[in-house]
Amino acid sequence: MKSASNGSGPKIGFYICHCGTNIAGTIDVEAVREHAAKLPGVAVSKGYKYMCSDPGQEMIAQDIRAQGLERLVVAACSPNLHEETFRKAAAKGGLNPFFFQMVNIREHASWVHEDKAAATQKAEDQVRAAIHRVRFHKALEKKRVPVHPDVMVVGGGIAGIHAALTAANAGKKVILVEREATIGGHMALFDKTFPTLDCSACILTPKMSAVKGHPNITLWAYSEVTKVEGYVGNFKVTVKRKPRYVKEDLCVGCDACIDACVFKEAKFPDEFNQGLSKRKPVYLSFPQATPKVVTIDPKTCIQLKTGKCKMTCAAACDRKAIDFGQKEESKEVPVGAIILTTGFDAFDPKRHEYYGYGRYPNVYSALEVERLVNASGPTGGDVVLRDGRRPEAIGIIHCVGSRDEHTNKWCSRVCCMYSLKLAHLLKERTGAQVYNFYIDMRTPGKTFEEFYDRLLKEGVQFVRGRVAEVNDWAMTREEEGRLVIRVEDTLAGFVRRIPVDMVVLSQGLEARKDALDVRRIFNIGCGSDGFFQERHPKLAPVSTFADGIFIAGACQGPKDIPDTVAQAGAAAAEALALVDAGHVEMEPNTSRVVEEECSGCKSCVPLCPYSAITFDEAKKKASINEILCKGCGVCAAACPSGSIRQNLFEDDEIFGEIEGVLS
Amino acid sequence: MPLQQTMRYESERDRAFADWVESITGGENVKGCIQCGLCSATCPLSIYMDYTPRRLVNLARAGFKDEVLSSFTIWLCASCYACRAECPKQIKVTDIMYALKRRAIREGSYPRRFPIPILAKEFSRMIRGFGRTPETFLVADLFLRTNWLRFLDMIGLGLNLLRTGRMSFVPESIQGRDQLRRILDSVDGESAKEERAVKEAA
Repeated sequence: MKSASNGSGPKIGFYICHCGTNIAGTIDVEAVREHAAKLPGVAVSKGYKYMCSDPGQEMIAQDIRAQGLERLVVAACSPNLHEETFRKAAAKGGLNPFFFQMVNIREHASWVHEDKAAATQKAEDQVRAAIHRVRFHKALEKKRVPVHPDVMVVGGGIAGIHAALTAANAGKKVILVEREATIGGHMALFDKTFPTLDCSACILTPKMSAVKGHPNITLWAYSEVTKVEGYVGNFKVTVKRKPRYVKEDLCVGCDACIDACVFKEAKFPDEFNQGLSKRKPVYLSFPQATPKVVTIDPKTCIQLKTGKCKMTCAAACDRKAIDFGQKEESKEVPVGAIILTTGFDAFDPKRHEYYGYGRYPNVYSALEVERLVNASGPTGGDVVLRDGRRPEAIGIIHCVGSRDEHTNKWCSRVCCMYSLKLAHLLKERTGAQVYNFYIDMRTPGKTFEEFYDRLLKEGVQFVRGRVAEVNDWAMTREEEGRLVIRVEDTLAGFVRRIPVDMVVLSQGLEARKDALDVRRIFNIGCGSDGFFQERHPKLAPVSTFADGIFIAGACQGPKDIPDTVAQAGAAAAEALALVDAGHVEMEPNTSRVVEEECSGCKSCVPLCPYSAITFDEAKKKASINEILCKGCGVCAAACPSGSIRQNLFEDDEIFGEIEGVLS
Repeated sequence: MPLQQTMRYESERDRAFADWVESITGGENVKGCIQCGLCSATCPLSIYMDYTPRRLVNLARAGFKDEVLSSFTIWLCASCYACRAECPKQIKVTDIMYALKRRAIREGSYPRRFPIPILAKEFSRMIRGFGRTPETFLVADLFLRTNWLRFLDMIGLGLNLLRTGRMSFVPESIQGRDQLRRILDSVDGESAKEERAVKEAA
């Protein structure tokens, strides 16, 4: 190893950013600048208030040209934010962008320390390490790889529908994968949408039909993604197509098979209606289901369970669409970009046992009430309770499974507004006295506060306080035979007991039960709340840490329909920007095998998470596909003979860094 | 201090009272109250009140009639209109206070031995009788009805005022007292009519 401490190396330019007071408030930037100026090889040492600004970048480019700088070190924020910015500044000055090293003295020093002297000392150590390292940097080139033009959208709720239509309208081929038998998602369950009270079906179903009829969209409903291989611009996605036992291209959704089913009465809980009605083993989720194809449920169909049925359904189908022999299919498709719009799960109100859901029949989940007030729901929009009564008083409890350390900590963002909507609809349909029990009223959207004002004036009772329990123990005559809500009316200043006939639990939103599995398939991240993690909360809200994979809608966090649609449009635009560019540039931080040193032990081959290493049987040497390599460094670290080298992490670079930090 | 149960049952709510509050002149926006508390914060007297104006509005529109009509709050209101001017929902809190005062007097539910409702009541009775407020009688009346011991303390001052002609045992009065009475009857008749309409509607 060659010593790095003599002064005869390349000419280095050093720049330190104040980042306003973000860095300069804790670190004595002038001291660090002076410290760097004295280090061997440093020809220029400067500080500036905002290095990332245009004047800051221009200063670097000019110094490179004027002073003939051969290496560049910038001490500023995280390379995640501005590494690319300063590489471009280097290139502008005529320097290979990889002759640059970034030092993170913000996230790694100024933001995390309070002791100014110690933070300054640490920044100096970091800077010394980088200045020692950068002299060993080599000129590198980014590789350009062509991009597959097709886009895949996973999840057919309103987010997926909108993203698929946007990309398809731009002329891209889109594959829309949906797990359920029909697209539509949660929005298909709603009667009205807040705050405008426009009919959900009226605005959703035309978009569903547009998906079905779009020449650029391939709709794979009742299907799931099982594997994603490849990398940005060139993914290979494996999709499992579950058997419906009905040929999709033949079925027209005429219902003849449903009428003919040997079960004369529907007797299995209808999932679409939240179990408030029954269906047969062969069913269509709802009349506007898309694709309009019936599905046979293998858990309840006699033929599929026992093989001993008269199969009256198959006989009734004059298009011969029913096929009990259908098998699960697996399809592999190449795509350039993937948009995940897998949505949310509603909080299971059983987990909040003091509210009696599942114990008292007249305690409903909000999703059940959505179906109950829906004109095409199980009662045609008539609000009849499970015991056949009509409610005279209704209590709507907010924040069920939200803002609670026992369940979910977050505010689910939509519950206040949908509770107001349900209060309006229930009051309109039943004329009942409606109470809303809330902790804070959160109406932060366009015309949302006006909607709250409208509800106040409609005479809905608002009681501020988190309900402690719902029970049926009467203490007065008017409470007899009813459900009693016990709550502190925090604005009135006393505890109240309020008897009602119907309780609605406004469930919060949470991540899908299998979000962690899906996360692994797509190699993206989840936050501590379980929702998919965006790349940056403000500046990259629909990107993920996996290039080429975007997220939109409630899979990223609770949000309402307008925000979901806006995000879906944004995700489609990001995907289009990627596939329309025609190629992607790959970071040159890849590994390579030095063939003459490789012993052919194969230890690296199974370790590679991206399957980029193959073993050349003829030469008995490992070989790395540069395009597949993501630069994680596992192979380089594991190679027993040290014959795998990684760009930007060469031994001399790393030893230089260590020597610098210790000197 | 004896312990008291403070929990309220729904049967203690008087919905007709809530409807009445919304129907009175000035009460039309009370449903739109968002309980922000600006009225209480801006009120120079809320610091002495048993229920702050915000809480009183909340109790009134929920129909907790007993709490509202027996509160000190409505009598402490000095009609400065600060709340009325600043309310973000344009609720006419002062007008509501006036209506609540009239109703509390009519129902006899104002706090006993508290001078302000008695002053209001005696003031209006004397106007009705004389067209003026003869101070000797008003003051004597007020002390006798609230704290007659203090009346004894004040005798010296009273005698001095009488001697210098500042007070008189001859009540002042106006001409045309019957006309004034007719005006007052007509006003009372109107509010009684309103009352009846609300009761019938309920």
